[in-house]
Amino acid sequence: MKFMQRTKAKVAKEADDEQSRALYSNELSGMVLNGNSNYIIEPSYSICEGLIEGRLSFRGMNPELERLLELEQAEKAGNARPEQPKEVTDKEMAESYYANNAPTVSRTMSKKFSTKNEFNKRKSSEGPKWKKKAQFKKPRQDDDNVQV
Amino acid sequence: MATKVTIVMPGERVTAVEDVAKGKRVILGPGLRRVDDKVVASKAGPLRHKEPNTFWVDSYQRRYVPARGDLVIGIIRARAGDLYRVDIGAADTASISYLAFEAATKKNRPDLNPGDLLYARVLNANADIEPELVCVNSNGKRGKLGMLQDGFFFKCSLNLGRLLLRENCPALTALTDELPFEIAVGVNGRIWVKAHSMRETVGLSNAIMALEQAGYTEIDQICSNLGDVLQA
Repeated sequence: MKFMQRTKAKVAKEADDEQSRALYSNELSGMVLNGNSNYIIEPSYSICEGLIEGRLSFRGMNPELERLLELEQAEKAGNARPEQPKEVTDKEMAESYYANNAPTVSRTMSKKFSTKNEFNKRKSSEGPKWKKKAQFKKPRQDDDNVQV
Repeated sequence: MATKVTIVMPGERVTAVEDVAKGKRVILGPGLRRVDDKVVASKAGPLRHKEPNTFWVDSYQRRYVPARGDLVIGIIRARAGDLYRVDIGAADTASISYLAFEAATKKNRPDLNPGDLLYARVLNANADIEPELVCVNSNGKRGKLGMLQDGFFFKCSLNLGRLLLRENCPALTALTDELPFEIAVGVNGRIWVKAHSMRETVGLSNAIMALEQAGYTEIDQICSNLGDVLQA
């Protein structure tokens, strides 16, 4: 029975917990158990002292490295990167986006939820499905006559 | 705090930290450890404090203890399967996978030989397992890490390395006024310098080593004389 299995697992877990608690009880001090300590241990000098990264180049000795350092400095100075000016305004973007029939995805989704009636209506509004294929038309005889 | 420097000895209880810890969370740096609810120093040296709540002991030592995130200079010692053994001045050699370089693949291994110098980040530092290094950042880019070619390499105390790495270090500014150079300082007390000529490089390393005994206070005065050391 399912409920018997569950109870059995619960009892087994409790017994297990009890055992491990008994095993480690003499190792754990009260402080560790209560856990809520005001001390954070940080073993790294670089983080404690706030040291900089020690790979540096000065006066053009290593241009590649100096460019990296410059970028870093710029990022530090203006914490957020300077926002790039927009070449296309939001309005223009929206207009061209919808003009190009971009939201095809939204249409596929709306198609899923539309009724059969709406579906037929839209199909008919889109124009006849089978357009007459463009093909060569024999010129009329009198067209020729006019030119001559 | 900067005016009065307290020297602590190993085993000494540091009540100054405990007082702060009553009010807020406190970060205990190297040299301080917590014993139950007491804070005890485990190294000898001046107790340093950084606002708002960081404390550490600035002890003089030459043996590097790896810590996660540190930038170190290592020497390739050997090649072991898909790892390189790197000497970073710690108790154990560190390892770096050949895949921990920019654009490295199983087919395209980095060309490193014993004796080469690496500027790398400590990825993994634990007392029980050997430290692990990487030469790429989390985006897989090299950044400033990687092999150090040419130049001159020397060892110093960990304190000197840290002294140079403090923000707005007057020593580096003073040296920049003298000559163009490139430098890599590892927090493991290893420094690599490179200037245009051999003579300049050696002068540079001498100038840096002259700072070995400098404290926080006399550094400005020594820096003003660095030009003389370079000429000598």
